[in-house]
Amino acid sequence: MNPFALSFLILGLGLIGWLTARARALRFDRGGAKRLHSLPAQHGWFVAMWTMLPPLLFLVVWSAVTPGLVRQTVLQSPAAAGLSDFAFERDSVLAQAREVARNPFDTEADPLARKLAPVVRDARSRYAWTGAIAAILLAFAGAVFALSRIRADFRARSKVERTLMMGLLVASLIAILTTLGIFASLFWESTRFFGQVPITQFLFGTHWSPQVIDAKNPGASLGAVPLFWGTFFIGAVIAMLVAIPFGLMSAVYLTQYASATTRRWMKPTLEMLAGVPTVVYGYFAALTVAPAVRKLAVALGDQFASSESALAAGLVMGVMIIPFVSSMADDSLAAVPSSMRDGSLAMGATTSETISRVLIPAALPGVVAGVLLAVSRAIGETMIVVMAASGAATITLNPLQSATTVTKQIVDLLTGEAEFDSPKTLAAFALGLTLFVITLLLNIVALRVVKRYREAYD
Amino acid sequence: MTAPSPAPHKMSARDVSVFYGDNHAVRGVSIDIDMDKVTAFIGPSGCGKSTFLRTFNRMNDTIASARVTGEITLDGEDIYSPNMDVVQLRARVGMVFQKPNPFPKSIFENVAYGPRIHGLASSKTDLEGIVERSLKRAGLWEEVKDRLSDSGTALSGGQQQRLCIARAIAVDPEVILMDEPASALDPIATAKIEELIHELRGRYAIVIVTHNMQQAARVSQRTAFFHLGHLVEYGETDNLFTAPREERTKDYITGRYG
Amino acid sequence: MTKPAASQAERRPTDWKSAGMQKRIRRRYAAERRFRMLGAGAVILSAAFLGFLLLTMVAQGWRGFTVTEIALPIDLKVAGLKVERAQLATPAADLALAGAGLEDAVENAAIRAFGAEGGTYLAPSAWLAVREAVKRDPSLLENRAIVHVPAATGFDQALAGDGDAAMEAGVARLRRQGAIARDFNWAFLHESDSTDPVAVGIWGALKGSLLTMAITFLIAFPVGVLSAIYLEEYAPKNRWTDLIEVSINNLAAVPSIIFGLLGLAVFLGTWQIGGHVYGPMLPRSAPLVGGVTLALMIMPVIVIASRNAIKGVPPSIRDAALGIGASPIQVVFHHVLPLAMPGILTGTIIGMARALGETAPLLLIGMRAFIVTAPGGFTDPATVLPVQIFLWSDEVSRGFVEKTSAAILVLLAVLLAMNGLAIYLRNKFETRWQ
Repeated sequence: MNPFALSFLILGLGLIGWLTARARALRFDRGGAKRLHSLPAQHGWFVAMWTMLPPLLFLVVWSAVTPGLVRQTVLQSPAAAGLSDFAFERDSVLAQAREVARNPFDTEADPLARKLAPVVRDARSRYAWTGAIAAILLAFAGAVFALSRIRADFRARSKVERTLMMGLLVASLIAILTTLGIFASLFWESTRFFGQVPITQFLFGTHWSPQVIDAKNPGASLGAVPLFWGTFFIGAVIAMLVAIPFGLMSAVYLTQYASATTRRWMKPTLEMLAGVPTVVYGYFAALTVAPAVRKLAVALGDQFASSESALAAGLVMGVMIIPFVSSMADDSLAAVPSSMRDGSLAMGATTSETISRVLIPAALPGVVAGVLLAVSRAIGETMIVVMAASGAATITLNPLQSATTVTKQIVDLLTGEAEFDSPKTLAAFALGLTLFVITLLLNIVALRVVKRYREAYD
Repeated sequence: MTAPSPAPHKMSARDVSVFYGDNHAVRGVSIDIDMDKVTAFIGPSGCGKSTFLRTFNRMNDTIASARVTGEITLDGEDIYSPNMDVVQLRARVGMVFQKPNPFPKSIFENVAYGPRIHGLASSKTDLEGIVERSLKRAGLWEEVKDRLSDSGTALSGGQQQRLCIARAIAVDPEVILMDEPASALDPIATAKIEELIHELRGRYAIVIVTHNMQQAARVSQRTAFFHLGHLVEYGETDNLFTAPREERTKDYITGRYG
Repeated sequence: MTKPAASQAERRPTDWKSAGMQKRIRRRYAAERRFRMLGAGAVILSAAFLGFLLLTMVAQGWRGFTVTEIALPIDLKVAGLKVERAQLATPAADLALAGAGLEDAVENAAIRAFGAEGGTYLAPSAWLAVREAVKRDPSLLENRAIVHVPAATGFDQALAGDGDAAMEAGVARLRRQGAIARDFNWAFLHESDSTDPVAVGIWGALKGSLLTMAITFLIAFPVGVLSAIYLEEYAPKNRWTDLIEVSINNLAAVPSIIFGLLGLAVFLGTWQIGGHVYGPMLPRSAPLVGGVTLALMIMPVIVIASRNAIKGVPPSIRDAALGIGASPIQVVFHHVLPLAMPGILTGTIIGMARALGETAPLLLIGMRAFIVTAPGGFTDPATVLPVQIFLWSDEVSRGFVEKTSAAILVLLAVLLAMNGLAIYLRNKFETRWQ
């Protein structure tokens, strides 16, 4: 049974439960002039809740376990005897079988997959029907139980509201769960990594070449210093050299000089730079900017210039960050009291003197916090470096040479076909943990600075 | 209705009107300001006295919707003429605001700000001399001489306002405009500011806007009474308060409205 | 020039008219103009970069929306195709036509019409176009006819002036014969990925994006709004609430790739609990996993926007409702929430736009499959539009450049529409109370 149809069926049952309960509540004997504690509609909600919540929760759990059950059944069927023992090959055939089960006229599938397809289809429909019937039974059971409880003096409203409050609390706990989940999964996989590679070798080693890992001493080729340097060089140096002057000067111009019309048009235009997906920037960096940078390098006399230079990735990343710096600077400048501006102008200072000697120094904490947040975004940015930066880990000060970053290496390490337990795969999680901790620290410091700065002018 | 004065006037306004968009805030005001005198502008709030004050150093230029007509001269030169340089004008006509607005810099840097941007000091020693002299004139030197590198915003309200006055006199202006300089201060700090205005009188032409008639009577030699954008009466302070010529002035100073 | 004041003995009054001072003033004004131009330059250059990027994409991408077609004269009777007419209406028609050697027949027709090289002018998928034509009009089996078939990538490139010599010659020849036509590339909108750039389409990726976004919305919207309501209206002031707030603020700034690692470890990794190994919780490269991962990523955005919207509802409305005896829950769900809804929706759309453009976390959880047919459901292997763009950008074949740019244009158009809707909502409902 289609999960959507099933969900609608359950919603329908809930509606019927709601109507029945309300109708019953309307006919309650009020026992004199006393008012009912709860409105008939609230009795309705009580029943509808009992009718819908258990089966819907059940369905969520059921749909999560069904694929595993189907797989189990198929693997145990006699038709699966010819399956390869290699996990990769087996999974590929199973995937094709699932495909054929959906579309029997798929002509290019593996013959074994075609044989397995009916088994898949049968198992699927069997589990789907089991789940559907169980869900409907649960709905009826819930409805009967709830209907048997409602009486004139039943406090349906309190029950409904308490459930809703629980829902609200659970929803807000998901944020904590996510944070914990991130930390736990990164930490867990990293511990496994540091079980195989000493943490000092990872943090201070200067040689990174995960393609050739010596099984006896995996740490020798997993020293992350070149990645840290590349990340810092591209994200915190080159990108900021573009983003800070452009972002700051744009904010200054738009807040201090531009007419209202210009501001109304140009501010959203600059914000569009932040709305362009990073994959588009990456494509642009790789296809247009990187070759141009390479040509420049060749013109400068570097015949072997990299077409995956740190400069190309950093430049484009800087442009992407401009709106972040600009809007933070905008907010900070707006928070400086206008009496500062008047005071300086009344001394005979020009607008630019007022801006550079009074307004920007006064807004500096806010601007610095904005830059920290921008750096945190830049070093966590992935697609631009994946597409435009190099995979070769070198420590260089020359922006025309190639450099690699933490995020680029995470993607490279995890998108090959590798087993889950190898130091190579686990290294990605250790890199992820490092990235997470650093961005977290940057954010905490930045938010502190902003908070203190706001308090200073309030 | 100009006050009698034999010497040429430091500043003169002739038929000045100020518009904020469609709002006619100041209506055809003419007035003369002289050296070595304190001139007080009084009147109920919203009468246009502060707006009018800001036309003397063109601070209304910073408000996009403001428009000024008429003529204002400084030493006979029209300050709204294209030849007049607004940067120089504001250096010669300084201003102190209602709320103390020291820059978030050190006390020294606050006072040195003007001399630095205008290039008035020839050396570091010279600059230090200017800062010390200005702080002394503003009566703040004794209180801050040991902590010149502290932030100007860390001072008390009254000290901040005297710092702002020191900042204004550091560029050696000829006229100082004060827009209700004591209205945000407590009585003791107010008394100090008034005392300071007394001492400064000999060197500058001072124009002070106040809503406090006693203050005007205490510090000024001349007083102008504004009402609804009009200059109602202008004359020697003693005469204006004891024998006002206009009925409206009398009503105001006797507390009939305001 | 000023009146010499007797008391200014220590220092001579500043001579503003002196030559040195005039020069200094001129210099200061020049600096002022320079500074102003720097500011204007920063704004203009930033905007120009955006314009340059968009123009580059349009210049490269417009061709991706068109297809080069070759008018192929074909006579299937001569080719001797053994197919019953009756079969053509059944699902087995594809198999029958393939088995009867239609592919060779098409190639032979091309050689007959355009010379020995003729076969290479046609796309590998050209015979599929003939197959569909035959299914639409079975009389083609008996008659000589002209069928428009897609041209090969090399041919298409040569037409754009960027091909090899042999193809250039072919283009010149077919041009003389008047056999080249350009048409809007409908296939680009309803086909999926392929190894041949002229045959690719974005529908598979677009549908993957839609399915993923549906999951993201179904999770992030209710969870985000409910947590916002809790935090803004009911949460007690204690350490737990602080912890929730700190979590949300930090999650909003966590790099997106970290969410990919989370998805990989939690939903796709194996779990060892009590000695038992449990397989992946969710199927790999499915919209379901991508949707859940992105939902966790944009939830903080929705929470923060919703809290601001709820905060914007004046307290007088709450007081009025409480005053007539509504319970705290009724106040929020009947009065506050409807008034805050425009703000909440605006924030949600912006969050969804971010999710739609996101690539990195989906790469990690494996939504980079080669998808030849559009995914049918939430658990089928799928890819999404940004990932498809990434995959195509990696292709060596020159023909993929215009397809990548065309796909980018589609993505940008969808994002622009979403942001436009958000701005419209904000402007329409922003000033309801002040």
